[in-house]
Amino acid sequence: MPDQASGGAFEKAGTAPGDGAAPAVRVEGLWKRFGQQIAVDGIDLVLPAGRFIGLVGPNGAGKTTTLSMITGLLRPDHGRILVAGDDVWADPESVARVKSRIGVLPEGLRLFERLSGRELLAYSGRLRGLPGDEVDKRAAQLLDVLGLTDSQHKLVVDYSTGMRKKIGLAAALLHNPEVLFLDEPFEGVDPVSAQTIRGVLERYTASGATVVFSSHVMELVESLCDWVAVMAAGRIRAQGPLAEVRGDAPSLQAAFLELVGANERAAAGDSLDWLGGTGSAGNGTGSGAGGGAQ
Amino acid sequence: MSAVTSSPAPASAPASAPAPSLTSVFVRLKLSLLRNGLRQSGGRTAAYVVSAVFGVLFAAGMFLAFVLLRGHESAGTAAILLTGVVALAWAVMPLFVPSGDETLDPSRLVMLPLLPAPLVRALLVASLVGVGPVLTLLLAFGAALSVAHGAAAACVAVLAVPLVTVTCVALSRAVAAANIRLLTSRKGRDLALLSGLVIAVGMQVVNFAAQRLSEPGGMDAVEPAAAVVGWLPPAAAIGAVDAAGEGAYAVAAARLLLTAAALAGLVHWWRRSLVRLMVEPDGSTIGAAPDPAARGKDGTGFLGRFLPDGRTGAVMERSLRYMWRDPKTKAAWVTSLAIGLIVPLFNALQGAGSIYWACFASGMLGMLMYNQFGQDTSAFWMVAQTLSTPADAYAELRARAYALLAVTLPFTVLVTALTCAVLGDWGRLPEGLGLAFGLLGAMLGTGAVASALFPYSIPQDSGYKNVVPGQAGLAWISIFGGMLVAALLCAPLIGAVIYFRVADHHSLLWLLFPAGTLYGALLVWAGLRLAAPRTANRLPEILAAVSKG
Repeated sequence: MPDQASGGAFEKAGTAPGDGAAPAVRVEGLWKRFGQQIAVDGIDLVLPAGRFIGLVGPNGAGKTTTLSMITGLLRPDHGRILVAGDDVWADPESVARVKSRIGVLPEGLRLFERLSGRELLAYSGRLRGLPGDEVDKRAAQLLDVLGLTDSQHKLVVDYSTGMRKKIGLAAALLHNPEVLFLDEPFEGVDPVSAQTIRGVLERYTASGATVVFSSHVMELVESLCDWVAVMAAGRIRAQGPLAEVRGDAPSLQAAFLELVGANERAAAGDSLDWLGGTGSAGNGTGSGAGGGAQ
Repeated sequence: MSAVTSSPAPASAPASAPAPSLTSVFVRLKLSLLRNGLRQSGGRTAAYVVSAVFGVLFAAGMFLAFVLLRGHESAGTAAILLTGVVALAWAVMPLFVPSGDETLDPSRLVMLPLLPAPLVRALLVASLVGVGPVLTLLLAFGAALSVAHGAAAACVAVLAVPLVTVTCVALSRAVAAANIRLLTSRKGRDLALLSGLVIAVGMQVVNFAAQRLSEPGGMDAVEPAAAVVGWLPPAAAIGAVDAAGEGAYAVAAARLLLTAAALAGLVHWWRRSLVRLMVEPDGSTIGAAPDPAARGKDGTGFLGRFLPDGRTGAVMERSLRYMWRDPKTKAAWVTSLAIGLIVPLFNALQGAGSIYWACFASGMLGMLMYNQFGQDTSAFWMVAQTLSTPADAYAELRARAYALLAVTLPFTVLVTALTCAVLGDWGRLPEGLGLAFGLLGAMLGTGAVASALFPYSIPQDSGYKNVVPGQAGLAWISIFGGMLVAALLCAPLIGAVIYFRVADHHSLLWLLFPAGTLYGALLVWAGLRLAAPRTANRLPEILAAVSKG
C-alpha cells in the first residue's frame, strides 16, 4: 500500500530521507475510550505522502478523536502513531520534530480571538521560532491569497465562520508543514471561501505536501481527494485510492452509505405519508446517490 | 386527519380544548425553564438555592430593619432611598447580567404568531415569577411598613407595594429590550463581563459610604436626595405612603399617579422596542469596522518594538494585549489593581494602616499568574502545538511571568510608596518593598506550578463564573493551596522582620529590600523550573482541562 506514494511525491527539498516511500502517517492499533464509549476502536491506518487524503464518516464516527491523537492534542489509550517517520507520543525530541512538520486546523477549539488576524499569524509564527520578518512576509502573502487583507486588523472574535477557517488555515500553513491536518475545514463555510481554501490546498499538495482532512461532504471529498479512508463507529471501514474505495458504486456517496450501512434507514420514509398535504407522489428523494449532502 | 386540507393551523391539537391563555403559557414556560436549568447540574441547583437563601435572608434582614426603623425620624428618607437603589439595581441589572431568562428573548419568539399587547402582558407576568421580584416585593413591603402611619397610609401602601414591584420589573425589561442590540453584540457582551469589576469596586464604595452614614448625623446629609427621589417612580410610591401618613393626601395621590403613569410609559416603551426588535434582526456584527490606523503595519504593534524576539516577545505581547482586549482578563486585572490599591491606601488613610498592607497589592496581582493556561481557553492548542520540550515550556511560562511583572513590579512600587507617603514613614519603604517583592515572587512561582498541575476552564460567557461546574475543587486546590504555600515560602522574610523588630535591630531592616528581591526572584525561577517539565509532559491533559468552558 505505501508504494502508491511513489511517483514524484517528494519534491520538497531536504524533508524526505532516502527511503522515498515512507507514508506520511502510519497508525497502529490506535484506541481511545471516553468513559463507557469507545471512540476509536483499535484502528490501523497508512496514509501515503504527497496525497490529498479524505477521512470521511458520519458524525460521531471518531474522525476528530483520531485527528486529535495524530496531531498530539489528545493522548491515546493504546497504539502508536508515526508522522513522517517520527513517533508522535514518544520522547520530546521526536515530538518536537513532528510538531514542526505538521500544520493543524482543529474543529471546535478556539483561536486567540482577541488578536487581529494579522497579529494571530505574527504570534503563531514567532511561537514556532520563525524569524520575525519572515513571519510578517509570509503572513502578508497568506492574508492576500486567502482574501483576508481587508479584515487583517479586525479581531478574530468578529470574524465570520469562513474567515475563521481561513485564518486558521493561514496559521497552519505559516511554517510550511509537510503534512496538514484539517478537521472539517469546509463546515459552515460559504462557497466563495470554500473555493479559496480549496485553491490554496490544491496548490499546496501539488508541491508534494500531504493534506489530511475530515469531512462528511462526499461530493467535496470525491472532487478533491485521491485517497480516502472511511470511518464509522470508531473503526476504519475502508481505505485506499478513491477509485478503489468507490468500487462499482455510482458515486462515493453511494459507496459510503453502503459501507456505513445507512441505506436501510434512509428508505424509511413511509411513516410520514401525511407530510406534503395533498398527496402528490413523493419524488423519491429518500435514498440513493444525489440526496444532497449539504 | 382527512379534514386537514388547506389550513396549516394547529392540526395536531384536539379541536375541542380551548387554547390556554398566553400568560399562563409563558408562566409555565418560565417555570419549566427554571426547573430544567436546575436539573441540568447539581452545582447549578446548589448555586441557585444558596443565592436564593442568601437573598431571602438579606431581604428578611432588611425587612426587620425597616420594622425597627418604624417611627424613627429618618424612616422616610431610608425607605425612599432604598427603594430608589433597588429600582436602580433593576434598571442596570440587564446591562450587566446577560439574562438567563429565555422567555424574555424576543428573537426566540419571532416566528410565533403573537400580537404585541398580549405578548407584553404575558411577558410581564412571567417576569414576575422568580426570586428577584419576590425579594423586591418583600423589600417594598418593608419600606411601606416603616412609613405607613394610619389607615390612609395603609390603603396607599396596599397599592404602592405591588406597584413598586411591577414597575421595577417593567423597568428592567424595558431597559433590556431597548438595549438588546447592545447586549447581543460582541461589544455588549464584553461590557457585561466587566460587571465583576463594577461589583468589586462598588462594594468598596458602598463600604465607604456605609461608614460615613453610620457616623452621627449621617442621615441628615442624604435628606435632600430623598426629597428628589421621593418624586421619582417607583420610589415615589413609597413616598406616597409616607405623604399619606403625614396627611398630605394630594401629594400622596400625585406620587402614586406618577408611579402608575411611569409604569404605563415603561410598558409602552418596552412594547415598542419589542415590536421593532422582532422585525429588525441584529446586524451589529456586520458593522464591526476594522481600525487599521490604530495598529502597526505588521502583526507586531507599538509594544513589539520594545520586546525581545522569538517566543518571549511574542508571548509577552499577546499577554499584554489580552490584559486590555480580553474582557475576562481585563476585569481580573482591573479588579486586582483597584483592590490592591484601595485596601492599603484606605487603611492608611483611616489611620489603621501599616506598610505591610502594601503586600496586599502584590498578593492580589500575583494571583493572576494562577491558571495561566485556563486563561487561554481552548485556544491553548495553538500553544501546545509549538511546545514539545521542557525548554519550550520554560520559555513560555517565563514570558508570561515577564508580562505580569511588566505591570505588577511598577504597580507594587507605586502602592508601597503611596502607602509610605500617606503614613509619612518613608524609612520603612525598603522593608515594605522587600516583603512585597518576596510575596510577589512566591505567588508567581507557585502560580506557575499550579498552572501546570491544576489547570481549569474559565467560562467565557459569564461575568461571575470563573470556574465551570465540576472543576471548582480543582480551582480551590490551585488557588488556596498555592496561596498557602506562597505564605509558607515567605516565612523566612516574615521571620526576619519579626527578629529585627524584637531584637531591636531596626537599623538592619533595610536589608529586607535586597533580600526580599533576591528571594522573590529565586522563587520565580524555582517555580518556573518545576513547572516547565510538568507542563511539557501534560499538554493534552492541560488542553482537555481548559477546553470545558
